[in-house]
Amino acid sequence: MRLFICGFGTVGQGFAEVVASRKGFFEERFGEDVTIVGAMDSRSYVTSQDGLDPMSIVIGKAENGRVGPDGYDDPLAVLDSVDYDILVEVSPTDVKTGGTGLITIRHALECGKDVITVNKGPLALRFRELMDLAESKGCMLRFEGSVGGAMPIINLCRENLAGENIRSIRGIFNGTCNFILSKMDNGQPFEQALKEAQQMGYAETDPTNDIEGYDSACKVVILANSVFGRDVTFDDVEITGITSITEGAIALAKSRNMVIRLIGEVSDTKLSVGPRLIPRGHALGLSGTLNTAQINTDLAGPVTVQGRGAGRMETASAILSDLVAIMEARR
Amino acid sequence: MIVNAELFVKDLPGQLVGSLEPVSMVNGNIMGVVHNREQIINNRICINITFEVDDNSQVEGLKNIWKSRDIVISRIGSVYETFTMDYLLIGDLDASYIEGIIDEASKTISLEAVDVRYSSKTVDPSKRTGMISVKARSEEDLDRLDGLLNDVCRKSGIVYVRGV
Repeated sequence: MRLFICGFGTVGQGFAEVVASRKGFFEERFGEDVTIVGAMDSRSYVTSQDGLDPMSIVIGKAENGRVGPDGYDDPLAVLDSVDYDILVEVSPTDVKTGGTGLITIRHALECGKDVITVNKGPLALRFRELMDLAESKGCMLRFEGSVGGAMPIINLCRENLAGENIRSIRGIFNGTCNFILSKMDNGQPFEQALKEAQQMGYAETDPTNDIEGYDSACKVVILANSVFGRDVTFDDVEITGITSITEGAIALAKSRNMVIRLIGEVSDTKLSVGPRLIPRGHALGLSGTLNTAQINTDLAGPVTVQGRGAGRMETASAILSDLVAIMEARR
Repeated sequence: MIVNAELFVKDLPGQLVGSLEPVSMVNGNIMGVVHNREQIINNRICINITFEVDDNSQVEGLKNIWKSRDIVISRIGSVYETFTMDYLLIGDLDASYIEGIIDEASKTISLEAVDVRYSSKTVDPSKRTGMISVKARSEEDLDRLDGLLNDVCRKSGIVYVRGV
């Protein structure tokens, strides 16, 4: 199985390491190698039809700040320069336009390639178009890592809980906000908690996407479209961030033995992200950077999952699960 | 609605099942059954059933079926379940503003109890917080209150945080 990795930041590098470390697993389970025939970052690329050494690309990126010696103007020309089976699209998210990710995903599907992505932008903006394109071309488009990182949720709902009537999903889909709100539980003001999150590497220098709820909104859209079969976009989500949450609000909640958490909610009729009052001890009241989701089903009742929502290996783990699923299907 | 009924049935085999079966016949959901063998009146034993139905018409239908089966209904009454929800409002508000919202809500929504807490410790009037804890008769009442609060707060630029 030949992979092309688009985007070679933290997640792309982590996934390349996973490909190297799981070599024996692929051989044993599928009787074939998984090779990386191309990798591309925002400035450069490297390709080899015979396969690249994953660790060499990772080391090269760390040493030189670029994935290969050659630059490019047209990412699609780079994709077309080598023969691959699966595009692994892990470039940075652009919620406004879909960015390069949308262009490369669309191109790969048009060329009949399977695609794995964790890029929320294209999915939040053009989900239905991309799924229809994949179907028309007989391709698979999988995106487990786009919601909840290592926390299994999309494949859980679509495969393990297939046949269930999933009534709603609600959860914590942004570890940065949860870290900030958890700190505020202990009396820390919002600004200090945000600064600490930035110093610990949980929040970006520009934290807008996280604290205004935009990141969670993208995930809610992906769940609505993929699990509930809806046709919604980012603009359809009712979004309230956590910037207005005051120490007084936290204290009042505490007086009723509750905490405030940023909760994404999705059902056939609901599509929202906003702060919610959660009783202490409730599954959605967890502290720290973890993500969690409560899936309410008609037969199994509530199913709760929890896991690390971001990170190099955590997201790579989700991509691996999609890769295994595609390889199983293509066997 | 949740209903509790005290019945007296003949002390014969099959009578217990015969008293429970009609609840299912009217699409009710049995929540609890106490077979009180010590309480015998006129050779009939006491059965206490708690069940859930959507509306009163099902209860009326059930009473008719029980009567047709020679089951004596000694007592029947509704036991209303209350649903609790908390709401936080953050912004430029004061106690009278919150009271006004509650008064408005009470005109159309059946609320069993309302508890309001208000915090004005902050010097910044745009960051005052009010907490409303409500007990309502049904989840529908809570949904309607949620819609009303969401609407009012959005129009007033107040941040609205509800429970789950």
